[in-house]
Amino acid sequence: MFPGFEQIDGVSSSPDLSLVQTALYASGIFALLMMILTFFAVLSLPIFFGTVVLLEGLLKLANNVRDPVGKLSKIFGLVFRSLRRNVVRTSLTYVALFVLTGMLSTIYSGVDLIDKITQEKEDNVQVIMTERFGAPSMMPRSYANRLKGILKELPPEAQPRNIDDDFMVWSFVGATLDLNKRTQENALFVLALEPDAIRTMLSYQGLSKDDMSEEAYAELMQSIDDMKKDKRNVIIGPERLELMGKQVGDSVKAYALGYKDVTYDFKIVGSFPAEVSRWSKSALMRLDYFNDTLDGAKTFSGAEVRPVNLIWVRMPNKAAYEALATVVNEPKSFSAPQAKMETASAAIGSFLEGLKSIVFAFKYIIMPAIAVIMCLVVGITITIGVRERRSEMAVMKVLGFLPWQVMGIIIAEAVLIGVMGGLLSTWLVYFAPKSIEAFKAFTGLKFKILFFDKISAPILITVYGPLLGTFVGLIGSALPAISSRKVKVSEVFAQVT
Amino acid sequence: MPLVEVRDLYKSFTRGAETIEVLMDLNLDVEAGEFLALMGPSGSGKTTLLNLLAGLDTPTSGTISVGGERISDYSESELARWRTRNVGFVFQFYNLLPVLTAYENVELPLLLLPLTGAQRRKQVENAMGLVGLSDRMSHRPGQLSGGQCQRVGIARAIVTDPTIIVADEPTGALDSASADAALKLLDILRSELGKTILMVTHDPHAAERAQRIVQLEKGRLAHHNLTLTH
Repeated sequence: MFPGFEQIDGVSSSPDLSLVQTALYASGIFALLMMILTFFAVLSLPIFFGTVVLLEGLLKLANNVRDPVGKLSKIFGLVFRSLRRNVVRTSLTYVALFVLTGMLSTIYSGVDLIDKITQEKEDNVQVIMTERFGAPSMMPRSYANRLKGILKELPPEAQPRNIDDDFMVWSFVGATLDLNKRTQENALFVLALEPDAIRTMLSYQGLSKDDMSEEAYAELMQSIDDMKKDKRNVIIGPERLELMGKQVGDSVKAYALGYKDVTYDFKIVGSFPAEVSRWSKSALMRLDYFNDTLDGAKTFSGAEVRPVNLIWVRMPNKAAYEALATVVNEPKSFSAPQAKMETASAAIGSFLEGLKSIVFAFKYIIMPAIAVIMCLVVGITITIGVRERRSEMAVMKVLGFLPWQVMGIIIAEAVLIGVMGGLLSTWLVYFAPKSIEAFKAFTGLKFKILFFDKISAPILITVYGPLLGTFVGLIGSALPAISSRKVKVSEVFAQVT
Repeated sequence: MPLVEVRDLYKSFTRGAETIEVLMDLNLDVEAGEFLALMGPSGSGKTTLLNLLAGLDTPTSGTISVGGERISDYSESELARWRTRNVGFVFQFYNLLPVLTAYENVELPLLLLPLTGAQRRKQVENAMGLVGLSDRMSHRPGQLSGGQCQRVGIARAIVTDPTIIVADEPTGALDSASADAALKLLDILRSELGKTILMVTHDPHAAERAQRIVQLEKGRLAHHNLTLTH
């Protein structure tokens, strides 16, 4: 999107994939996911049966409690006995439900993550103004002042809550340490902005205390404070420092590449924590120094250049953003060059535009299809079980069990497998990303999963999983349960003519 | 007054457009404490009659009264409750639940009655003692012989202290020694506990144990034979 800035809100720019490539990629991910989930499903079988035995044990203890608890516990105990009757079938049903719930909750988590990124929040709408047609975006400095003026004219409720924290101007500067030797080692990519805006910018970039150790965070905050002391002070990423052969405390002279005769005398006052990989090659400088050097250049003056790449504003709500966007998007407002205003999430959304149809398919075709398959799996298994036990059910009815009691036992079996499969599976899906992140933090390894630097699953899936299991158990066992209800008691004597 | 009174009983089944008359104009009385054997060729309707007498099915027309209660007018759930209290069932293939122990199988019908845990335990132990299986209470059906399974089945039939015991070919799956033991048990239930026993059988040797044999042919009563009283 912007040179050197391939990350926004934790999303890297999506690779340029054709539809076929994307489909193959998605199929591969699907197959891999199925294999992983099957592996964990099999691994979790002892937990499943252990829980079944444990619950059965608790029920047995309840057998001695005063009725109706004691009596009900004995009747409900039949459910557990039935589950243990055919261990292979119960295991296969559990594994199938585990895998399918796992796939469903993984897809849900992925869609949720993408939704969160693209979601336009009602409050604190982050908006960016960029050049409408140019790439990279380049706007005159006057745009920042004019936009600030427009903001001040908005009704108080539509104005940013704190203009200092909620407004920043970004200028990207390409520089080299040696004009005659423009090598990778000498290259420096710098983002110029007001020191007061750095914290806002870091937070906008999704960089928080959680991404680094407490010490590293304190050090970074100190470096930001140090930047305020002198306009020449800069912060440079550790990897770039290493390439340049410099360290914190050193001074460095750099030559701007996009602006003729502009040179910088930087003093390195800090670096980014090693944990924050996305900033390891970048640098931060003060916007006032950037502007001063431009103004002082011989051939260019501030009025002629367009050094502003992006203006970021945090609006209090969506209505305020829309009011501002209406003004900005009018052709006469910012006409040379024309500017556009969009929410940050909408800008990010363009990253994911290519994945839109896949997300749609996941959301509205694959997820419901998986739920239907789950119901079928449960339905088929329970139907087989009911057929095998038809005479037993008839005997129970002969002994005086009412149809709904027999039906309840069948449904309870299905729901129990569904709940357990759903619960353990969604726990895995919920805790796996946390474990991966913990592993990354512990080992210092840095890798992406798909396009995401950091993955997570919503905690809600741990509730949805068992609920889904219950739902699937109920729906899947409905037909066989009704069929068990209809078992004729007279069938029990059918062998006799 | 007879314990079981069957009057003008008709039972037919509909299969597609066809109506099959299974029982026709049947009248039968069974006295309390009587051991009655139902015999007849295949398709004669003895199973259907047994189902009706045990409250497992309802007649197309006619009435069935047991102990003064007209069960032919009962709904499905009323019949279920009535069966729990009044009828014990003994099946040809025992029909024990394989996942339950002998004790739990016998206790099963008691779970539907308003009894305390202690009362249930006492009744199960009595029934198991009566069939001579007090030492096999924790065994599952798979760990018992056919004869032992049938005795568990008989214990389950009597555990609720029912008025009538309905036996469906109780010796059909047993060797002669086990069959004799099962029949002896039924006989004891009649003679010592005063139970009324209705038994369907193809086995003339088993039928000899009954006080009366009712022969069915093509849905009608053919003979009422009075056999030896024991």
